[in-house]
Amino acid sequence: MTQPSPTPGVASGDRTGRFVTQPNGHVTPLSPHMDIWRWHVTMAASILFRATIIAATVGVLFVTAWLGALACGPEAYETALALAGSPLGLFVGFGLTAVLFSFILNGARHTINDTGNGLTIKTSTTLSNIAVWAPVPLAVLFWVVLFAVGRVSL
Amino acid sequence: MSGAAKFKNNVKISERHGAGEWAAERVLLVILLPLGLWVASTGFTLAGAAYKVVLDWFASPLNAGLLAVTAVVFFCYVSLAWKVILEDYVPQPGARKALLGLLNLVFLVLAAASVFFIVRLALGSAPLPAGLGA
Repeated sequence: MTQPSPTPGVASGDRTGRFVTQPNGHVTPLSPHMDIWRWHVTMAASILFRATIIAATVGVLFVTAWLGALACGPEAYETALALAGSPLGLFVGFGLTAVLFSFILNGARHTINDTGNGLTIKTSTTLSNIAVWAPVPLAVLFWVVLFAVGRVSL
Repeated sequence: MSGAAKFKNNVKISERHGAGEWAAERVLLVILLPLGLWVASTGFTLAGAAYKVVLDWFASPLNAGLLAVTAVVFFCYVSLAWKVILEDYVPQPGARKALLGLLNLVFLVLAAASVFFIVRLALGSAPLPAGLGA
């Protein structure tokens, strides 16, 4: 492969005034997006979906362990139940439900956007806000009801 | 990225399977969404439940079947998802392939173990060391 000779950046239309040498030898203006982006919730939703999948991968280890304990009989299940009922266990349990709700809501947002819907600024912002924030109150509600009906106690 | 692009009938090989992978991710996610809601309601039903209650739940073929499907679909989905994540953050082709292979092995073992446990619970088999040389 012949290396393309370095070409000077085209100054017309360049708003950065700075040039970078690309790996292929081309000299191009610095991408303006590096300078002019600003934080938006759609970005947070996108990153959080990735984090959610990573967390869900870890979380499913606990679910598999729960299945294994069940398959090992009543004593093993009682041990697992005691661990899940300890303060740390309840904390992990709360995290698991938050991750589950995050997965459902963010997955729904992703699916809606993938079909080409909800991509106006207003709708995508609303969908992202739901996907980012709603899992927390939903998980709190889940556990408040569990405690309220006496199914779980400290 | 890795090596020269391979062509078949003047079309890049990567352009032939990329779309299928993308579609598989969406289909698996769409299947997982209602199953996720069902898992949430199941978690609510079984939280802190006694051993007998949980076994009765597993005795229903619908419950056990749905849970096994959820497990398999979930591990297929995370396998594809981790592939995307590794492709973004691990630039060395060798390390990327090794990590992906390792993760897929872990996911395969976890999926097999989950289905194994679920089938035993659904069939009401004796607690586990039984039947495994004990």
